[in-house]
Amino acid sequence: MLQTIFVGLFGIAAIWFGVVVFTTSSMVRSALALLFSQVAIGAMFLAMQSEFLGVLQIMMMATEMSIMAIFMVMYMMDPGGLMGMDMTHQKRISQAVGVLGALLVIGLVFLVGWGPIAGSVSPGRQVHDLGIELMERSMLIFETAGITILTAMIATIAVALERRR
Amino acid sequence: MTTAIVILVLLAGAYVVAVLEGWATNGRLRPAGPALDAVALLGRESVVTRSSDRIFFEVGPVLLLISALLAAAVLPLSPGLVVTDLATGALFVNMALAFVMVALVMAGWGPDGVYAMVGGWRFLGQLVGYSMLIVMPLTAVAMRAESLFTIRIVESQGALWNVIFQPLGFVLFFLAALAVCFLPPFDLPTAPGELAGGVMAEYTGARLAIMRLARMVLVVTLAVTVTVFYLGGWIGPVLPPWAWTLGKSLLVAAVMLFAGRYVPRIREEHFLQWFWKFGIPLALVNILYVGIVLLVVDK
Repeated sequence: MLQTIFVGLFGIAAIWFGVVVFTTSSMVRSALALLFSQVAIGAMFLAMQSEFLGVLQIMMMATEMSIMAIFMVMYMMDPGGLMGMDMTHQKRISQAVGVLGALLVIGLVFLVGWGPIAGSVSPGRQVHDLGIELMERSMLIFETAGITILTAMIATIAVALERRR
Repeated sequence: MTTAIVILVLLAGAYVVAVLEGWATNGRLRPAGPALDAVALLGRESVVTRSSDRIFFEVGPVLLLISALLAAAVLPLSPGLVVTDLATGALFVNMALAFVMVALVMAGWGPDGVYAMVGGWRFLGQLVGYSMLIVMPLTAVAMRAESLFTIRIVESQGALWNVIFQPLGFVLFFLAALAVCFLPPFDLPTAPGELAGGVMAEYTGARLAIMRLARMVLVVTLAVTVTVFYLGGWIGPVLPPWAWTLGKSLLVAAVMLFAGRYVPRIREEHFLQWFWKFGIPLALVNILYVGIVLLVVDK
């Protein structure tokens, strides 16, 4: 019961911060609101007893969203949101798509048969199993993804470098 | 009960560290100094700058304190004295410390001041430099303990402390720890004499008191972290376990505060260059070395 309440509370917090992302004009506020929305999702994982996933989510988002914040400040004309710049467009279509999407997701929640609820595994066991999974079955996938990202990083830097004569 | 004891220990530790810092900076030992400073700060007006981002301005110092306290929650002071022994302990410390950066970015952006903002964004760059040197040495520590439980990590050092078992990892982690609590020579976000206090420049009165307290608690937390992960935590003869943890942590904190005073402040780009070009390869070498020792030599 308590678990359900907390999952719900963190869920509402996640949605609330998600709304703030779009209602504020300050780029830094927007980025950090997204950060705290993701932290709330991490807290939902914690409330659902998947400890490793929750801690990892909260940790990764802190860094990623802050780095995103500085890029938004660098690229936007009005990072502080003090000049009343309007960044929205195609409002009608966006609203319609948003409402439809939300209805679809809510419908799926109730219509899909979720099957029996899995029993909880001890957090220590979760860490162990994740490690085995990463080092055995999923190793190739993760290594491929890692190399791909590295290639993209090197390519980006190569493109951004000034040509030397 | 345990939580209360840990918080009291942290606060007492923060006080001692504040005395030590005063001694390291001014060369004068004033045991009552921090208390008098705190009273003075609390009595002073707490100015809010014009067109500040009020939420960030208020949340920044508090979040800094919370992140330091959260990190301390999984660190054992003695076998039974730990707030919560999580299965992801070592990772959790890292998670909590990531929010030090978020707090400083908030405190930098919030007051709408140039020095503060430069300081805040500088610390974001600093994080890009040091974060790998927190995670990768911790990986080697967890490899030896075969666990992320902080208590198991201490127990794994029963025969030999990690500082001797993996000295390279210790050096890297210690430097990264200095960078986390922005102590000299890595005090880029505050940079007295250059940024006029940086992230702390616009804070006055009670808000500044919270910020300073948070910074001191952060130093204590990092000192305990180094003790738990590398100096064998509570392990030691004769004295009770908690005394060993406290003694070692105090020593680490003293070294952290005094060591940097003899080195000039490092420039941001040099910091990034050194930590990435030398630090990360060395951290990889450390992981490889520990892996070889564990799988080949110890077996």
